[in-house]
This record gives sequence, structure tokens and C-alpha cells, in this order.
Amino acid sequence: MTTLAPPATPTSPPAERRGPRYAWYATLAVGLGIGLFSYGYQLTGGLAVTGLTNTVTWGLYIVVFMFLVGVSAGGLIVVAGSELVGSHRMESLNRLAVIVSGTAVAAAAVSIIPDLGRPFMAWQMMVSPQLMSPLVWDMAVITVYLTIAGIDLWILTRPKPMPRSLRIMAMITLPVAVLVHSVTAWIFGFLIARPFWNTAILAPLFISSALVSGTALVLIIAWTVRRVSSWEPPSHVFQDLAKLLAWFVAVDFFLLVAELVTAFTSQTEYHLAPLEMLFSGRQAPLFWGQLGFGVLLPFLVYAIPKLRARTGLLVAAAVLSVLGVFAKRVNILMPGMYEPQINLPPGASGGVPGGGFVLDQLYVPTWVEYGVVIGIGAFAATLITIGVRRWVLPQAAAEGADVEDAGDDEAARTH
Amino acid sequence: MPDATDVLGSLLAGGDPNEGQAAMVERTSAIEALPAASREWGEIDARSDAPRWGMLVDTERCIGCWSCAVICRSENDVALGMWWNRILTAGDDLDTPKVGEHGQLEMEWMPLACQHCSDAPCEKVCPTAATYTNDEGIVLVDADKCIGCRYCMAACPYGVRVFNWGEPEKAPGVEEGMVQARPVGTVEKCSLCVHRIGEGQEPSCVVSCPAQARIFGDLNAPDSRINRLLHDRGGDQLLKEKGTQPKVHYLPPRRRRSL
Repeated sequence: MTTLAPPATPTSPPAERRGPRYAWYATLAVGLGIGLFSYGYQLTGGLAVTGLTNTVTWGLYIVVFMFLVGVSAGGLIVVAGSELVGSHRMESLNRLAVIVSGTAVAAAAVSIIPDLGRPFMAWQMMVSPQLMSPLVWDMAVITVYLTIAGIDLWILTRPKPMPRSLRIMAMITLPVAVLVHSVTAWIFGFLIARPFWNTAILAPLFISSALVSGTALVLIIAWTVRRVSSWEPPSHVFQDLAKLLAWFVAVDFFLLVAELVTAFTSQTEYHLAPLEMLFSGRQAPLFWGQLGFGVLLPFLVYAIPKLRARTGLLVAAAVLSVLGVFAKRVNILMPGMYEPQINLPPGASGGVPGGGFVLDQLYVPTWVEYGVVIGIGAFAATLITIGVRRWVLPQAAAEGADVEDAGDDEAARTH
Repeated sequence: MPDATDVLGSLLAGGDPNEGQAAMVERTSAIEALPAASREWGEIDARSDAPRWGMLVDTERCIGCWSCAVICRSENDVALGMWWNRILTAGDDLDTPKVGEHGQLEMEWMPLACQHCSDAPCEKVCPTAATYTNDEGIVLVDADKCIGCRYCMAACPYGVRVFNWGEPEKAPGVEEGMVQARPVGTVEKCSLCVHRIGEGQEPSCVVSCPAQARIFGDLNAPDSRINRLLHDRGGDQLLKEKGTQPKVHYLPPRRRRSL
């Protein structure tokens, strides 16, 4: 599972140390290679090479999609949110945050492609969209979100600050961000066939999880970039992010508890079956692990001033938060998939020759799925590396000196 | 009179499984090639001006023999590892009857295929409108439009859709079916044998049922047998509370069958 986490390794070493930088580039190339090879293999064999079946029709790819859409919340909301409350405390993080958000949403769009049985037919969604489908809404809103990230980045990389434009963009960004996560949640939440997902709290829950993972990832990447380069944000930003994270984690946990308690007290079978799977069944280790290591432990670090003052500990907590949200996505997807409404022997057809019938499906991703996900991770890390080298490091280097030149240079590149 | 196998062979050349119109002319001659008794046996009994096709499964008559499931595979060229039509068993396990009242053993079967919902959840979520309901109420998949996102499979409460995970494979020596095979990466399911209905013939699962447990007909035709039975004996719909309004109905057993 650790391979699925966004890059926690150095994003961009300083120019003076070439060795680690080239090692990092080599790692990215290998990751992209693994991804392309795995996807090529899947294209020749069809989705039969995955662990998916007619019962568990969605798996790791969709988890990664949910996760990446969520991660994209962090940066843009941090920028837009502090802009709207008139705070300049996060300003030094602006560019980095927007790069992380834009990358995450681009990677999310990419991550849905390997899940398609006929990716070469995906243009059908454009020429004959069925407007009732939340999948079509999601495609639209993700495109808008990606565009907003691009415009934000453009504004932030102008030589002269454009506070007015940034403010206007912030007012557009926040509602669209809310919409992106809501629509992604509704892909699942609208399905009457899956009572576990069919709950109004899914959209708020997606937003709160998105805030946790997105903010934590910005913290991790900011810390990494600071470590490996001369870029130096004011030290208070890490503390500020930690305080935000404490709130986000608490709200995220509260919404989860609200949902679970409501479902549990209903004592109806179709509510209880997925809960049993989480509390004591197949998903229990991941569920309790997520609550312990992904919620409680990081929360203590964020909330206790003495602990969060130790940056190393803070970053470790952020990594746990990101992994915890990933585990949460798994715990949302799998019980919904594992519990069909009609579940009688002999079960669903296996789907492949010799597959027989399966009543109690266990989904285990294959190496192909892991390979593709490694590739998506490498793709995201590559975008962040490029973005940081182009727009974050020059800013640090040029601070006070020739800002104008750097700005012009960047302007030429963005277009 | 043409040789039946020749006619079948000529059918394989073309025809969209979902529209069935193109293949209809040739297919009619295949039907004509059958003995009159076979043709009559499969004829749809009554038909209104605007038919709404439905099916009734008499669970009192069903003996769980899987004939309908097997003929469905050959009729519709369903690839190995997939079933459009399955016979589920209510019991502890496939061959273990449940213990009913007074310790008597009971066995019940639930033939399950697409329920052809009037308010179909699969149709609502399909991003490309590949899943659609035709004029006669049959929920169909246009394989040409399907991008293989499997959203419909997540949305279907009945779990009756199957996906071509790999290149569709057939058992060695098995003839091709009466409709075109679907390509890898697409979702498929029961079409109520739409290609047969066009010729006034009932779906093959209905014709093949040795217990005559399946009744097919026009829900809009007052005199159809399906309507008379629904009127006389009521009938259940699966997961009725979901509001999907299936056009497949189930008749509960009037007396419990004990072993």
C-alpha cells in the first residue's frame, strides 16, 4: 500500500547537488516505465488481468481516483480560503499549493482511464453524454477545476502580484472545490443498489477527507522541498497547517462517526452487513488501523502544541493522515462492492473462462493494478517536480533580486 | 426448404444484437425453417398496439434445472465464464436445502436475469447512454457506445450485468449464437431475446423451460396470459422497495414444496 502514497521522497534537490537529483529523476523514469508497461499489458489482455470480477467491479483504480480527487482539495482551498479571510500567512505556500492541487486533479483524470474497458471509446462521453449521469458531471467539474488551477498558477506566477484577480479566483475556486468533491461522492452516493454508499453524508464526508489528505500532502511536500532546496517558507506555516489539520481531522472523524452510528442503530440488515465487515470482518484491520494510526495518532500530534512544534513528528503525522485517508477510501469502496443486494448461491459468474460462480468475493489487486498505480504516482511526482523547479525554486532564488526576469521567463513557459 | 444450419450460418454475417432489425429478415427465414409445431410453441400469445414486454416466473413450477440459463448462453452467444441468466437457490448452500417449518426441508429457486426495470438505475448512470430502454420497454445495451466504465454494474441492485473482462471465449466446438458477440471491455446482459420478439417469438428461456415456469407476454395486452396470471395470482417484484419497477414478476408458490 505504501507504493500508492503520493511522493514523500525528495521532489527537487538543489542545483548544487546533482547526484540525488539524477537519482530522483531515474526513480521517476522507472516508476513511469512500470506504469506504462503494466498498462500496456492490461491493454493486450483486457481487464481480465486485474483482480476485478462481476461482483467487485470497481477496485484499486477507483480508490486511487477518489483519493486523488480528494488530495486536490488541499492546495486550492488553503490558497483560496486564506485569501478570502484576508490572511497572508500562507502566502509563501501559494504556488506550491496550487501546483500540488493541479497535479492531483490531473492525475485523478488520468487514473480513471485504466479503469475503462474501452479507453479508446471514451470520447463517446463527449459526443453523446448522458446528462443524468454523475460521471458526466464529474468529468465536467474536474475539467473546470483543472482550468481553475491553471489560471491560479498563471496569476501567482505573474511578476507583479495580482491581489484582485486572486481574490476573484478564490471566490470561484471554493464553490467549485466543494462541487468537485460532492460530485465525486455522488457517483457513489446516488446508487440505491449500494445502501452503504446511499447516504447524504457521503458528500460532506468526501470534503472533510479531502481537506485532511490535501492539506497533509501540501505539508509533506512543502517540508520535502524545503529540505532539498534553498526554498525557505516562514517556519510558522507548518504550525498553521498543523492547526488546520487538527480541525479537519476532527470534523472528518465526527462525520464518520455520525454516519456509522446512524447506520448501526437502524439495525436493518442491509446497513449492518457492511458495518460488520468494517468492525469485525474482512475490513476490520484496515478500519481500526485507519482510526488508530490515521486519525487518533496524527490528531494528537496536530492538537498538542509541544508535539506539533517538532517538525519531524508533524511530517510523520501528515504521512499517517494521507495513508489514513487512503485506507478510508478503501473502506468506503469495498464494503459497498462486497455486499450485493441479492446474495444467494451459487453467486455471480466469475467473468472469465473457468471462473465458475463466486458467492463471497474477495478482491485482491494484481501486480498489473499496482504497476499502473505506481505509474500514476510517478506521473504526479513528475508534474510536481517540474512545477516546483519552474515556479517555486526560481521564486526562492530570485527573492528580492531579479523577480522581474524570473516572472517573464515563467510567463513564457505557462503559455 | 433451406437447411437450418445454412440459414444459421448466413445469420452470423451481420446484425446488431441490440437492434435486431437488420438480422430480422434472415432470422425470420430461420424461424420458418423450423417445424411448424416448434414455431407455434414459441409464438407470443397476444400483442397490443404499443407492447410493453414483461416476464413472469412461476416459482411454484420452477424445478431449478438451469435449462433456461444454458439455452440463453447459446442463443445469445454468451462467452465462457459469463451468464445472463442464473438460477439462484434459497438454502444453506447450492445443494443443501434449508430447514423449514416443522423441520421439513425446503428448496426454492429464483431464476435471475435482467429485471427490465421501468425506472432502470443502470440507464440513469450510464455516461454515454449506451444503456437505454427501447420503445417496447426492453432495457438494452448498445455495445458500440459502451466505454466499459461498469458504472451500470455498480448501480444495478440485482447484479445481473456481466462484463467482458477479457477477449470473449467460447467452448470448443460450440456454434455461434443468434446475435453478434460483444467485444472485450463492454458490459452485457439479458436482452429479453429482442431479436426473437421482433419475429413474434418468445425469448428462448421461455420456450426451453421444461416446467413451463416462465411466462412471457405483453403487459399492455389485457388478454395476454401474463396479465391474466398476474391478475389471478398477484406476483412479486424483486427488491420492490427500491422503486425500480421491474417488468419481471415472480409468482410465489401457493403451497410450500417439501422434500
